[in-house]
Parts: sequence; structure tokens; C-alpha cells
Amino acid sequence: MEIQILGAGAFSSALVKLKPGEQLVSEAGAFFRGSSNVDIDVSTYAKSKKSGGLSAGLKRALAQESFFLSKYTCNDANDGEVGLAPKMQGEIAVIDCDGSSGWLCTGGSYLASTSGLEIDTQFQGLKGFLTGESLSFISVTGQGQLLVNAFGHINQIEVDGALTVDTGHVVAFQDTLDYKLGKAASSWLHSFLTSERVVLKFKGTGKIYLQGYNPDEFGHSLGPLLPYRK
Amino acid sequence: MEYSIEGNPDYGQLTVQLTEGEKFFAEGGAMAWMSNEVELKGRMLGGFFKALWRKMVAGESLFVSEYQHPSGGSVTLTPSVPGTVLQRTLNDESFILTAGSFMACTPGIKLKTRFGGWKAFFSREGAFVIECSGTGELFYNSFGAVLEKDVDGSLTVDNGHVVAWEPGLDYKIKKMGSLKTTLFSGEGLVMEFSGSGKIYLQTRTLNGLSKWLTPFSTP
Repeated sequence: MEIQILGAGAFSSALVKLKPGEQLVSEAGAFFRGSSNVDIDVSTYAKSKKSGGLSAGLKRALAQESFFLSKYTCNDANDGEVGLAPKMQGEIAVIDCDGSSGWLCTGGSYLASTSGLEIDTQFQGLKGFLTGESLSFISVTGQGQLLVNAFGHINQIEVDGALTVDTGHVVAFQDTLDYKLGKAASSWLHSFLTSERVVLKFKGTGKIYLQGYNPDEFGHSLGPLLPYRK
Repeated sequence: MEYSIEGNPDYGQLTVQLTEGEKFFAEGGAMAWMSNEVELKGRMLGGFFKALWRKMVAGESLFVSEYQHPSGGSVTLTPSVPGTVLQRTLNDESFILTAGSFMACTPGIKLKTRFGGWKAFFSREGAFVIECSGTGELFYNSFGAVLEKDVDGSLTVDNGHVVAWEPGLDYKIKKMGSLKTTLFSGEGLVMEFSGSGKIYLQTRTLNGLSKWLTPFSTP
């Protein structure tokens, strides 16, 4: 399987070359072009029983990922091609998961993965909801390549110690990092006054991918200018 | 204070390296990620009444964020809309920004809000401008890419497209043509600049994007 990122910058897309017998999984709807010998099977597909089925699909939907995933295979002996594009404008990164650790990926950031990776959702728990943040991460384990998309420029940071991140900026991170919700400032008052409110505090050692821009913030800027929903 | 800007022109981001005891100010909500133990406080710049004025006139937050780190750390900031992050060093001089363009500054820079005029107020664009003066580093942003233009004489600019300008320029707010033109061309109000100095313009506006999206919103 060969993965190429085209249009690097604001409007990236991924072009994947599949060999017969290989499988690629992507979020449903990401497909925009492909060779005619590629079959697309849309389902609540997952590698093992654990991450398939209705309840798993629901969990994924709650993680803000589409309910369905698409599975691509070649239907003849030739190589096939699949072009994938995210909904948001921004960059795409290919994360090589070598199996030494699992990865956690935010719902909106998951674009595609090779078949050696198992996809499951992990709930942040009630705490996530009380703060108004929806914090379900998709957990990715196994070996293979994970494609993630970001709103804006992707920053790859090696955390060794600690890092504080505004929640809307997380794309994906290694599960060797511990994370918990915390206040941005030392007091709730200042967290509110500075409009930073709740942040994710990461501790440990591992890689984290961050997106420069926060889709929610852009939504809040643009939303009020649009007419009311009736 | 060391800083670096990446991601321009589409997704500008500003990373500031603070040394022990150094502090700087940024608009609220701009923090994307930062080292742990960065001290973050909300501050009313210019005192209560000036801050209240900013809030009443343009809906800007009463507070700006003040960042400091006891032993040195970094903070990465981004604007809420995709675009370019710009930097300007002020040496006991001033520079004027439109309301939403302010991003961050070092403490030597004072921010003063100036009312854009009643015409601008009613058009909801350019309702107020921020005059930044003093010595230090100033960071501001645009929606989309930015064009720098030298004005020597006069220049007419559509309201929503102005990001910032040098103090050598003065401006008047005018209607574009007749009322009919205003209503049908969607051009609304324009700023007529005169004098000599640089002006920074953005080619896209959030209002323009929202007008384009509006027909698609589901009833």
C-alpha cells in the first residue's frame, strides 16, 4: 500500500494505491475518486467483533465520527487507487503505528487506516460532557498507517514531561501519554475571564499531533453571522 | 521574548518563548497549547471603563489574557478564523488595527480603542479600531491572506477588508454611491483613506463567507 499526500497545505487530500488483497478503511464520505476496480463496502466495519456492530457504530457516532466506515478492496488482479479528502480545510498526516504503542485520535480527525489497525472508541466519561466538551477519542491499536486530517497546519510535538492543550486542537496522540481535563488558569475565575476555560493536560512521554486551528472556534465566529435555524 | 510564526498565509500560528518573569498579553481564547505551569490571568487592559467601552461597542471580551511563566515556557496562539498572523515592532510609535485583528502584544504596548464613527457602528463593521502605541512587539491577524499596500494620496477600501494601517493615514467613512448602490451592490460602507503610509488589506471577509453560506442553511 502506498500513501501519497497531495495538495500539501490548506487543501490536502490522500491518494492511496492498493494492491490486490489489501484493505483500506476510511470514514464514510471521504472517498472522492478512485479507479474502477475498487469495491467500496460501507458498513459499521471493524477488524474484530469487538469494534463492529450497532453499539460500536453508535459509539463512533457519539465520537462525532460518521456512523459508517468504508472498506476498500480491489476486485481484480490489478492495483487500485483510492483518493480520500476530509471535510475540513487543512493538512493530512500519515502516522506510522509500529505497534509499540496505541494511538488515540479525535473523532473529527480520523480519516483512514490500513487494515492492520483496529479501531475502537473510548469514552472520556461524564466529565467530558459536564464541561460542554465532547471528548471521545477513537483508539487505534495494531500495526499500520493512520491517516488523520486537521483544521489547519499540523504540528508534531514530542512531549517529554508535560503539555497543556486547548481541547479543540488535539488531532492524535500516543497512548503512552496520560491526559486529564484541567482548568486553563490557576483559578476558575481567570479561566473564564480569559475565555480559555477547560484544557487537556498531558503528562508522560510520547508524540502528539496538534492542529493549529480549532473548528469550534471558527464555527462560533461564523455561526452568528448565519440566519437562525428554524 | 522570542517568537516564531508558522503556517502563513493560510493557517498562521504564533509561538512565544517566555523567559522567567517575562509576560505578554493576548486576546482571550487564542491559546492553542502551552507548556504546563504557564500562569494565565484575565486582565482588563486600559482600566475598567475602557474595557467596558470595548465590550459595549464591539462585543469584544472585557479581558485580555496575560501569560507569564515562573521558569520559562512557551505558548502557541492562533486566531479563531484561518488566515495570516503578522508581526510589527513598534519603536515609540503607533499602529492602528481594526477590531478583530488584535492578537497579542508585549507589555510596552498600550491599547486604546477609538470609536470608528456612528456610520461604521451601524454597519456593524469597523465599529471601533484599536490604536496600539509604545515600544514592543505587536501581533495581529487577518481572515485569509493579507496584502500590503503603500498609500500616497488616497485609497478607497470596502469596510470589512481593512486589517490595519500606519498612523500617517487618516480615513473618512462614506457610502459607496447612492443608497441604491449600497443596497444592491452589497458594498455598503467604504473607508476613504488619505495621507501617506502603509495599509494592510484582506481579500476575504467572514461576512462575505456567511452570505455565501446562508442560502445553504436548512430551514
